[in-house]
Amino acid sequence: MGYRITAKEDLSPIDYFVEVEAPHVAKTWKPGQFVVFILHERGERIPMSVYKAENGRIGMFIRKLGKTSMQLYYEYNPGDELWSFVGPLGKPIKVKNYGRVAFVSDAVCGQAENYATLKAMREAGNHTISVQTFEDRERVYPEKFLAREVADEYYLTTLDGSVGLKGHYLDVVKELIEKDKVDVIFAGGKLGSLAKLAELTRPYGIPTYATVRQIMVDGTGMCGSCRVLYDGEVKFACRDGPVFDAHKIDWEDAIRRNAERFAEQERLAKERYLEYLRAKGVI
Amino acid sequence: MPKLIKERVPTPERPVEERVKDFGEVNLGYTFELAVKEAERCLQCPENYAPCIKGCPVHINIPAFIAKIKEGDIKGALRIIWNDNTLPAITGRVCPQEDQCEGACVVGKVGDAVNIGKLERFVADYARKHGIEEELLCEFEETCTGERGKVAVVGAGPAGLTCAGELAKMGYKVTIFEALHKPGGVLIYGIPEFRLPKEILDHELAKLKRLGVEVKTDHVVGKTVTLEELLEEYDAVFIGTGAGTPKLLNIPGILLDRIYSANEFLTRINLMKAYEFPEYDTPISIGKKTVVIGAGNTAMDAARSALRLGSEVTIAYRRGREDMTARAEEIQHAEEEGVKFEFFLNPVEFIGDENGRVKAVKFEKMRPLEERDARGKRKIVGTGEYVTLEADTVIIAIGLEPNKIITEEARGLKTNPNGTLVVDENLMTSIPGVFAGGDAIRGEATVILAMGDGKRAAKAIDEYIRSKKASA
Ligand SMILES: Cc1cc2nc3c(=O)[nH]c(=O)nc-3n(C[C@H](O)[C@H](O)[C@H](O)COP(=O)(O)OP(=O)(O)OC[C@H]3O[C@@H](n4cnc5c(N)ncnc54)[C@H](O)[C@@H]3O)c2cc1C
Ligand SMILES: Cc1cc2nc3c(=O)[nH]c(=O)nc-3n(C[C@H](O)[C@H](O)[C@H](O)COP(=O)(O)OP(=O)(O)OC[C@H]3O[C@@H](n4cnc5c(N)ncnc54)[C@H](O)[C@@H]3O)c2cc1C
Ligand code: SF4
Ligand code: SF4
Ligand code: FES
Repeated sequence: MGYRITAKEDLSPIDYFVEVEAPHVAKTWKPGQFVVFILHERGERIPMSVYKAENGRIGMFIRKLGKTSMQLYYEYNPGDELWSFVGPLGKPIKVKNYGRVAFVSDAVCGQAENYATLKAMREAGNHTISVQTFEDRERVYPEKFLAREVADEYYLTTLDGSVGLKGHYLDVVKELIEKDKVDVIFAGGKLGSLAKLAELTRPYGIPTYATVRQIMVDGTGMCGSCRVLYDGEVKFACRDGPVFDAHKIDWEDAIRRNAERFAEQERLAKERYLEYLRAKGVI
Repeated sequence: MPKLIKERVPTPERPVEERVKDFGEVNLGYTFELAVKEAERCLQCPENYAPCIKGCPVHINIPAFIAKIKEGDIKGALRIIWNDNTLPAITGRVCPQEDQCEGACVVGKVGDAVNIGKLERFVADYARKHGIEEELLCEFEETCTGERGKVAVVGAGPAGLTCAGELAKMGYKVTIFEALHKPGGVLIYGIPEFRLPKEILDHELAKLKRLGVEVKTDHVVGKTVTLEELLEEYDAVFIGTGAGTPKLLNIPGILLDRIYSANEFLTRINLMKAYEFPEYDTPISIGKKTVVIGAGNTAMDAARSALRLGSEVTIAYRRGREDMTARAEEIQHAEEEGVKFEFFLNPVEFIGDENGRVKAVKFEKMRPLEERDARGKRKIVGTGEYVTLEADTVIIAIGLEPNKIITEEARGLKTNPNGTLVVDENLMTSIPGVFAGGDAIRGEATVILAMGDGKRAAKAIDEYIRSKKASA
């Protein structure tokens, strides 16, 4: 069968945008939901957030991190096909008029969700606040991929202050909630920051929802790879999430499980792949 | 009356030292000569009496197909089996025969039961390899017009595949919607290659394609399409979504690394081929000492897979040896291959190291009582004594329950408290025109029961669509 790639573009030296023809998924996708794809017959099932679902196409932001994300970047181009593409998976977030809604993000998946969520929230009549954090000037995405166009209030920060505000979204959030009312905060990106965000908003009692990325296999509730502890109970991130009330997640375990479970094997696969790219003269 | 031969003709098996090094099939099955010899042990009980027929959940006419083997008429044998079972190469390999057909065989009262499972498998394998199946299949092609109506099948496990095949033969246009990237259900993601080579499944899928069945993989019903949308487009729907959600233990340490559900472990290995990492991209991480919790087929499959990945393996079960639910052959193979067994141990805690990886499992010792539970198993109670087993890998195989994706979305679908779908005597769910079968209505059961349901549902769907069209 195959799912055709329709566009691919650099977002920064580390992240890229890719768009795939998948009308079966685009038709019913809602913010909060994700997709799973496989590059080829020997490939891995890779979960991915969605930036846009339009005209039968799914747009995604991807970081060149390990074997699969690099292979897609270096060896697949518009016109080529992905072997498998399934979705939408997970539960959509509740889109309604909350009043003042913020989305904060500091990594690739979060940047995609930032745009997707606030677009829907704005259409639902909310005042939308977007905070996007990047490492430095070089890694800031091109203007057309930022969430500015769907935000009533927009903040761009870089960790080194080379462009926008200096600092992290956590600093902006602190200021925001101290000076003004924020009715609900959504967040995506680095798990460590999400854990800190949960602690930051907890004393203020501001509802805070975060995308809990976990290592997945099927993405449909069939394997338990993605399990997290939520309010002391085992939940499956793919089926019961991936967006959860950030105040109820056991973050310590979630962070460790996402980073450590297959770290050795992933490193090996990445090194092997880099060697292959070097041998071919691609890098 | 033929002479009674008490001992079975053995089936060739690969030697232990060789087979534990790979995922190739363990049992090699009968040759033509051996099959005829084994067939001669059958006493040919009359059809209305034969206990084996009653023992088979789909009531295959066993003495009749065995008689055909004796005559060397494999096509005739296959034709008889196909009347009730279209996947004999699979059921011959995975049915719990000792509890079903073979458990009832009269020869078994005085010696070894006739090896019905291996004979069934022989017929299917021989017919496949010698083009006999092909000839039989052609007989159906005329009826596969696809003009009688349109049916959607949800889930490509044995229930869905059987239902689809039967409906296609009746002249319906069938489309299967499958969540994963490959069809087969547990047959592809759960049961390992060393018990059920994937080429057999591939062959069955190719057969279905010839009958005109279309398979749409990457479609999660309830997410990608809704049940309601299917009902708008199709005359009827069959749900065969299985019982694919693993039960996990609600005890401390469940989030430690290298604790897998059997489903995750087996899916990585079977569906994603993690045992060929890095040639295949999906990783698996396994240590030197694996503890598998549970004693069903899933536990045996996980244990024997872990062994093949180079780990020592211990199965820890909270009940006794005679309470194990796995097929006898799998338990025997596991023991031959060096899997150790510990009984009357109930896990109470997983203990981790400083990196968050499991290093041991703490168990409470259990004691059996005389009293039996609803399933006829001895009840067990805790003794208050504890033991700890070292383990750097743990696989939990304590059972599965139905996946909620479809029932969460289609609110009109009534479920039982255990999550299975409510159906009437025609396998119709609470939504008219929506039928269901297999593990989705039974909870964790067997391949042959799922197949039987698929077949029964196909008949009911045919009647439903005919009467609907007649009254329209
Ligand atoms: C719901 C969800 C949404 C995601 N959205 C995005 C996104 O928008 N953009 C993006 O770049 N990445 C996203 N990810 C993460 C992405 O799936 C992984 O980065 C990807 O699998 C990496 O594969 P790799 O082979 O390139 O790297 P690998 O070397 O395989 O992995 C690198 C790291 O990625 C994580 N990872 C690996 N395999 C998986 C897996 N099967 N599931 C989840 N995490 C895994 C682990 O933390 C690992 O350490 C998302 C993950 C989830 C669960
Ligand atoms: C490891 C293991 C070993 C086993 N060994 C044996 C054995 O030796 N002998 C035996 O008789 N039985 C055995 N069983 C049990 C047997 O496999 C099952 O009873 C049988 O597969 C049930 O068939 P099914 O068609 O009902 O469901 P399944 O085989 O579970 O298939 C269901 C299919 O539906 C798909 N699906 C689920 N939800 C959706 C959705 N919303 N949309 C689309 N698709 C969906 C799933 O991806 C899957 O492919 C074993 C089970 C396991 C897990
Ligand atoms: S289908 Fe299963 S129970 Fe029936 S005869 Fe064949 S092996 Fe025996
Ligand atoms: S019960 Fe045994 S001996 Fe009798 S017909 Fe069946 S297989 Fe043959
Ligand atoms: S990824 Fe398998 S249950 Fe969530």
